Amino acid sequence: MSKSRTPSITPWLFLAPFLVTFAVFTIYPLSQSFVLSFQQTFGPRSTVPVGFENFRYLFTDPLFWIALKNTTLFTLGSLCVQLPLSLGLALLLNRPELKGRSLFRLIFFAPSLVGLVFVGMIFSLIFEKRTGLLNVVIHSIIPQFPLEFPWLQNYVMLALIIAALWLYVGFNMIYFLAALQNVPGELVESAGIDGAGPWDRFVHVTLPHIMPVAGFVVLLSILGSFQLFELPFVLLGGSGPENRGLTLVMYLYNTGFVTGDLGYASAIGWVLALILASVTIVQRRISRKGEE
Amino acid sequence: MLDWLRNFSLGVWALIGLALASSVYLVTRPTASSSDHAFWVFARLHFQAYEPFIREWNEKTPEMRIEPLLVSLPAMERRLFSGFMSGTPMADLFEITQNVTARLISGPAEDIGLRDLTDLLKAEGLLDAINPPSFSPWTLRGRIYGLPHDVHPVLLTYRSDLVEAAGIDVNEIETWEDFVRVMWPLQRTGGAGGEDRYLLNMWQTNSELLPVLMLQAGGGFFDANLRPVLDSEVNAMVMATIATWCTGPKRIAIDAPEFSASGNALKIRGQVVAAIMPDWLAGVWKTDIPGLSGKLKLMPLPAWTKGGRRTSVMGGTMMGFNKKVSEEVFREQWKFAQFLYRSPALAAEMFRRSMIIPPDRNLWSLPVFDEPDPYFSGQPAGRLFIEQAPDVPLRVSSPFFNGANEQSGQALLRLVEYANANGVYTVEGLLPKSRELLAEAQAQLKRQMERNVFMREAQ
Repeated sequence: MSKSRTPSITPWLFLAPFLVTFAVFTIYPLSQSFVLSFQQTFGPRSTVPVGFENFRYLFTDPLFWIALKNTTLFTLGSLCVQLPLSLGLALLLNRPELKGRSLFRLIFFAPSLVGLVFVGMIFSLIFEKRTGLLNVVIHSIIPQFPLEFPWLQNYVMLALIIAALWLYVGFNMIYFLAALQNVPGELVESAGIDGAGPWDRFVHVTLPHIMPVAGFVVLLSILGSFQLFELPFVLLGGSGPENRGLTLVMYLYNTGFVTGDLGYASAIGWVLALILASVTIVQRRISRKGEE
Repeated sequence: MLDWLRNFSLGVWALIGLALASSVYLVTRPTASSSDHAFWVFARLHFQAYEPFIREWNEKTPEMRIEPLLVSLPAMERRLFSGFMSGTPMADLFEITQNVTARLISGPAEDIGLRDLTDLLKAEGLLDAINPPSFSPWTLRGRIYGLPHDVHPVLLTYRSDLVEAAGIDVNEIETWEDFVRVMWPLQRTGGAGGEDRYLLNMWQTNSELLPVLMLQAGGGFFDANLRPVLDSEVNAMVMATIATWCTGPKRIAIDAPEFSASGNALKIRGQVVAAIMPDWLAGVWKTDIPGLSGKLKLMPLPAWTKGGRRTSVMGGTMMGFNKKVSEEVFREQWKFAQFLYRSPALAAEMFRRSMIIPPDRNLWSLPVFDEPDPYFSGQPAGRLFIEQAPDVPLRVSSPFFNGANEQSGQALLRLVEYANANGVYTVEGLLPKSRELLAEAQAQLKRQMERNVFMREAQ
């Protein structure tokens, strides 16, 4: 009886490092940023409460809408190009008869080891006017193609999608490959015996089995794309001409750390969090329906 | 009472021991001596030039040792903001640029963390000794918050080898119109396997040069009261002219970015005839493009009108002082700042390393500035920059400078697109559109400024 009354402090002691760091580095900044989103800051020390003014201004701010449009375009571009390509590569590398599969896997996965900043640097050289690899190669094949073709001026979003494709296609391929390897071989074989062609086998046997992983990859891609920052920041050295490469996170960064308006930046952050939460809920519902 | 302590396993005691030991270490770890005063510098060249002078200072005054630290500018900006905002450790002295200063002095006067130097500068006669335009970027509401490090006058550099081989006399150039007319024979549009060549390093996406040329013409982003004046007639004229340089049959501009291998390759290959050149950039070219040594010369910037200003200004650095430092310590730090910024030996060293001329007019007579510079074909480069220093245009510091720069840069880009879409390639033809785009940019900038409650209160 007396033993049960003794306060059991040991579990709390073990949990304490996590709880303390979580409270200090997550809960406190989150609550502070929520408070800040209803304030305006200017210069290092001046802060005044402004109610919903930051949110009201946000929805009439053309830059916010440009950033939202760019981010959505990038997300759609990534989903529609990157994921089918990743799945295609995974299907190709899942074929047992393919020689050197491990080497190909390494080759396709290797770009994701280097990180966004490195990719930004590399592609800024590739897309360079006059001396960039892309323009020089195309010009040498088609002499009419201008060496001054302005990829990073007029085709910013396309350039960003291509750069991200190079980085992430192999990364997503690994998820799909793992899912494909879990598809029971006997099911695919039985379908073949029953007369199903390669397309039917893929649609009716393989795809339903990899749907949970596909849903997870879609969600990861959406969340990652909406948080895009480093790639355009390095590739364009900022938001690019006419803000054609401005993303939501970059706008948040510029507002908070370049202009110094931490209140408005917090409001952008909370709206971004709401967008991501909504997208996640919608995606999960769609996935669940698909699984049912 | 402490029975529950007996429940602790050996692992728990190990964790507690580790926590205690690390806490004791943190509390008792050695910190910098109280006589050390941190001095943050963002430019490597400055840092290297200062090192021997700071060593000398520290030997002479061990009670006021200066500890220089090279910090990247964005990192320094964050640390200064954090220091001023929440009291995190920061330097007593720091070198910062105009954009950073504009943000640090943007709030109400009582909230500015930088020391107001106005009275001291006046009392010590420095307002007369230092080139007056050098104070303008560090001045807000008539108060000066920094000791100027430089002037940064702008000249034009050109490929003297190409110009002289073509028999062109640059003395015939007084205005930008003259520049295009006189230099035109050097323009090549490629073809027949030959490489093209353009007269000026400039592009519609290079928004840094737009304010430089606007200031030269008498325009700019803000008036003396920090009101935006983007849509002024002079700005519209400058922007329309630049658009005609960047596109159309009379295009003279090429995009050869600075600090870039591809941009430097274009310069070395002779595809760029001339470039707008502040003193610090001349130093960068000397280091980064040694292959152009002896092939370049400097001349005053062509004016916008006959008899107009032959220079402009680009960039700028100041030394700032932390307001929280006691008056007594600040006096000692001020002596150090004088020792550093007004030293003839350091001014000469800084010029040799970076081509930067000092703002202190007493130092302008140093012989180093008259030395022939082999990189600029034997011209006395320092003297050429100094001759233009008094005419450098005044600038104001606004926390909305970046916004104004972005808005005007976008306006230029749209103007070039408009020119291409409509086949309009003359200044007169583009002027109405230039006015319209700058008026839109002005409206957008004002909208950003007006939502700021602090600015409303200040007005």
